[in-house]
Amino acid sequence: MPAVSHLQSAPAAYPDEIGVEVSNVTKSFGGDTSRVTVLNGVSLTIKKGEFVSLIGPSGCGKSTLLKLVAGLSEANGGSVSINGKSVREAAKDKAIGLVPQSPALLPWRTILDNVSLPISINPGANAGRKLRDPKEILQSFGLGHALDRYPAQLSGGMQQRAAIARAFVFDPEILLMDEPFSALDEMNRDQQRMGLLDFWQSNRKSVLFVTHSVPEAIILSDRIVLMASHPGRIAEIIDVDLPRPRNEALYASDAFRDLEGYVRSALRKVMEAARV
Amino acid sequence: MSDTVATAPRRNASGFTMARIVFDWGPPALTFVIVAVLWQLVAINNPYVLPTLDAIGNSLASDPGMYWANLLVTCQEVVIGAGAGIICGFLLAVAMSELPIVEKAVMPLIVVIMVTPVVAIAPALVVAFGFGMLPKYIVTGLVVFFPMLVNSLAGLRDVDQKALDVFKTLHASRWEIFRDLRLPGCMPFVFAGLRIAMPLAVVGAAVAEFVAAGQQAGLGSLVTIAAAQANLPVTWASIALLCLLGVLLVSLLALLRKRILWWSDEDVIGR
Repeated sequence: MPAVSHLQSAPAAYPDEIGVEVSNVTKSFGGDTSRVTVLNGVSLTIKKGEFVSLIGPSGCGKSTLLKLVAGLSEANGGSVSINGKSVREAAKDKAIGLVPQSPALLPWRTILDNVSLPISINPGANAGRKLRDPKEILQSFGLGHALDRYPAQLSGGMQQRAAIARAFVFDPEILLMDEPFSALDEMNRDQQRMGLLDFWQSNRKSVLFVTHSVPEAIILSDRIVLMASHPGRIAEIIDVDLPRPRNEALYASDAFRDLEGYVRSALRKVMEAARV
Repeated sequence: MSDTVATAPRRNASGFTMARIVFDWGPPALTFVIVAVLWQLVAINNPYVLPTLDAIGNSLASDPGMYWANLLVTCQEVVIGAGAGIICGFLLAVAMSELPIVEKAVMPLIVVIMVTPVVAIAPALVVAFGFGMLPKYIVTGLVVFFPMLVNSLAGLRDVDQKALDVFKTLHASRWEIFRDLRLPGCMPFVFAGLRIAMPLAVVGAAVAEFVAAGQQAGLGSLVTIAAAQANLPVTWASIALLCLLGVLLVSLLALLRKRILWWSDEDVIGR
């Protein structure tokens, strides 16, 4: 760990409650003869209101891990629980908000209707939760002027923001984001990152965020989970003790740079080990 | 800034509306004029090959009631026969996409039926069901059924996987996934199927009438009867009306597509 103790870390919204618990999960694909182990003995706990990033070389199974937590894929061994319930139960309660790699908005619906979609789907699970007003949430994502527009009329960055708003609108327990900014150009990406950071800081939710970008992982996360490949496993979990609320100014701080250097060298070690 | 919204296309912004019309309609109009002139040249020199265009026009004008009655019969076959074929094709596609066992069970039979030439089935249907409208409905329906089925099925399966993932994490029911994702998403494919089915519907109706000719039995019978009597103007007038019917159906479809499927046309939406 780098020495960043001179910075005070902000208290998490829910100090010790466990949001997501991944214990000793194993996942493999393929037939009996050509079985490939994608995840091997992965254990990870995400506290309520904690922002955790998954980073690692391609093929380390970070997207697979996200899919397991989302209930889109089943583990071969081990277990995943969300708020103490199985993933299936959590999905029934609409506890999971997914932001896929592409915005995946429905082209025949306006932005407002796209963001309202999770409220109308599985309405039985709406009871007793704080649904947000889709209009309000779009306004806070800077899309107040685009409510009646269709996805094809918006830029990629705006579409991705609408997809994030869609994941927040029904007040899920955990947000799963699979490289949501990877299709954007660098300037746009930075802007969307800051937008997400701002929104999340005032709406603390557990987040599992898959990314390829070291600065992105640092600026957003409370902890960075560094994964190694062949087979996919957790190599190291790095605490990000930078104060919140954060903003762009943090990029220039020594603490940020120290941490970035540390994460990069750890990543390099993982990749070199994989090459041998 | 890359965040700006694409603006809607400007209409007539340049003010060259007339030039635009001439540019858009001029070339095809010219083609039609050239074909008409060539037609007349051939017809005047070879009266037993083609009737002149004015002879066709005179034939239409001299007995409009007869043509109208036959046109209505053919229209009825297309509307009822093709309508049923389209609905059945789509519904079977839905059943197949929701229940794979249905596809497994039924698809081979459908392929067998579809490779059988409709022209060959038609006389058998006439023997079975007589000279009434039923065999004509069946033939017209059969012709449109397959393109509708295949296209709809492809559309129902071609869902955005990432959007499907979002639905699944929300624990959407199969009905919700169908209503909000598969059904609207398959529409571009359904319309592609209709685009093939519409002209085929006219073909189906005409073929059915060839086999089951009779008095006032549609434009197809009119063609066979008039051709047998070497009456070229009536033959070609009937062909022209069949052609007109096809054009009408395709235009109606294009209009409908614009209303329902505007979201899949990028130039309309103004990206």
